[in-house]
Amino acid sequence: MKSPLPAMISLRGVTLVYPNGVRALDNVNLEIEKGDFVFLVGDSGTGKSSLLRLLYREARSTAGEIVVDGIRVDRLRRKRVPALRRHLGVVFQDFKLLVDKTVWENVAFAMQVTGAHTRDVMRQVPRVLDLVGLSHKSRMYPGELSGGEQQRAAIARALVNNPKILLCDEPTGNLDPANTTEITALLQRINLKGTTVVVATHNQAVVDRMRRRVVRLSDGRITADEERGYYYLGLGQTQVLSG
Amino acid sequence: MKNGATIILDWGKLKFFLGEVLRNFSRNTGMQVTAIGTVAITIVLLGLFLFVRGALADVGSRLLDQIEVSAYLRTDVTPAQVTAIAHFLAEDPRIASARFVPKKQALAELRERTKGTIDTALLTENPLPDKFRIKTHVPDDVPAVAASIRRLSGVDNVVYGQKIVQRLLQLGAVLRRIGIAVIVVFFAVAGIIISNTIRLTVFARRREIAIMQLVGATGTYIRLPFICEGLLDGVIGALLAVALLAAARIALWPRLLEALPWVQLAGMPVDARLLVAQLVAVGAAIGVVASWISVGRHLRT
Repeated sequence: MKSPLPAMISLRGVTLVYPNGVRALDNVNLEIEKGDFVFLVGDSGTGKSSLLRLLYREARSTAGEIVVDGIRVDRLRRKRVPALRRHLGVVFQDFKLLVDKTVWENVAFAMQVTGAHTRDVMRQVPRVLDLVGLSHKSRMYPGELSGGEQQRAAIARALVNNPKILLCDEPTGNLDPANTTEITALLQRINLKGTTVVVATHNQAVVDRMRRRVVRLSDGRITADEERGYYYLGLGQTQVLSG
Repeated sequence: MKNGATIILDWGKLKFFLGEVLRNFSRNTGMQVTAIGTVAITIVLLGLFLFVRGALADVGSRLLDQIEVSAYLRTDVTPAQVTAIAHFLAEDPRIASARFVPKKQALAELRERTKGTIDTALLTENPLPDKFRIKTHVPDDVPAVAASIRRLSGVDNVVYGQKIVQRLLQLGAVLRRIGIAVIVVFFAVAGIIISNTIRLTVFARRREIAIMQLVGATGTYIRLPFICEGLLDGVIGALLAVALLAAARIALWPRLLEALPWVQLAGMPVDARLLVAQLVAVGAAIGVVASWISVGRHLRT
């Protein structure tokens, strides 16, 4: 099915071989439309993180074509990487917050280091803190927050530059079920505001509750792509792809 | 696409940036002190070197200016030969002035100079020969000019301060070489220590750097605080060195003049304000270059 609009994220024949010879991705084809919410599922080491890393250009594909928001990421020169990263928000399992900065400072940091005007920082930071529900804890340090709150702070930081795409690598991997539910709801809210969200996860409950598009990876290949999928294959409408 | 390179300053941005620089700077106090200390030592040495070089050049040029060639004529010299010699001296472009001193005048000058020490009245006849006193434009020409005069007929002997001239020129060259070698070594040491300090800061800040890269901070923006840190090391070290040199000048200068009266320094052989500016500029340059190299090697942006 071809979309009339160019996809927000498009991978064609993408292969990633790490210098140690490990073939992390093998001829991956994937299109993600603007406003999509996509789960990447699969066992550990099947290439979920590698795929995300290619999108924000932490890794470089060995072969194939990658387009993110109109940018040819596979051909992107190093100098242009910062420009790409400003179109993307990235969230990790371990939050990656700066422990010696407050929540407010952590979020503002992401704007300040891109040379944003103080006026814009003052306007934008409260807005995203409100969105993730952390306004009342903005003066606290990461160490004083629960895991869920830390992840919300990290999401606020990822969103502060108004990215069109939010990439999440195991966002609930370190969280208990209650916090997991909270973060999942937040991601859904963000998606409803029009942000394209891609979540690599191991969490069956999250995937099954959300019933969104599920892309399944196995040994570096996409083995299934379901429109309203479950964590385990075969429960939803399945479109099995040929290699 | 936003232009990442443009950084338009506002007060909040400046405050944030300076905060980051100070945060870096205060992270490894021990290393920072070492870096600043090494820069200070280097700059003190450089300052002393420039000072001594200035002083030597000053004293040297004054001594060299006084160097003249004396061409003593044979006692049986003919007036025609004297005329020929005078002609020859006038033709040589290297010679600034040549004055004929007849023996009568030479004796008078001798009497004047030795008044009270030697009783020249005891002399029954004038033992002094006629001579020419010759000055060259450049001290370096003295040996060659002396040699060419020695070949003229009627000239008995040619004398100049050979030893002094040669010693002075040699001393200057040797001191310059040693000084440059020592300073180069210290520059290298200061550079290595600064770049190590920056490397430690880069390492200490790797989480911040990773996040900066993740959210799309430009390479320049990420590097700038580290370059500023190096700059700060260099400038503070240089200012420290300038303070030490100034203190030394105040404390030691009068004693130096007292101890070495023959040096006859008219004043400071170097322009103090220019020297300070040069030293601070050199300190800043060491800091920036060393941190630039270090950041380039340890920070992949």
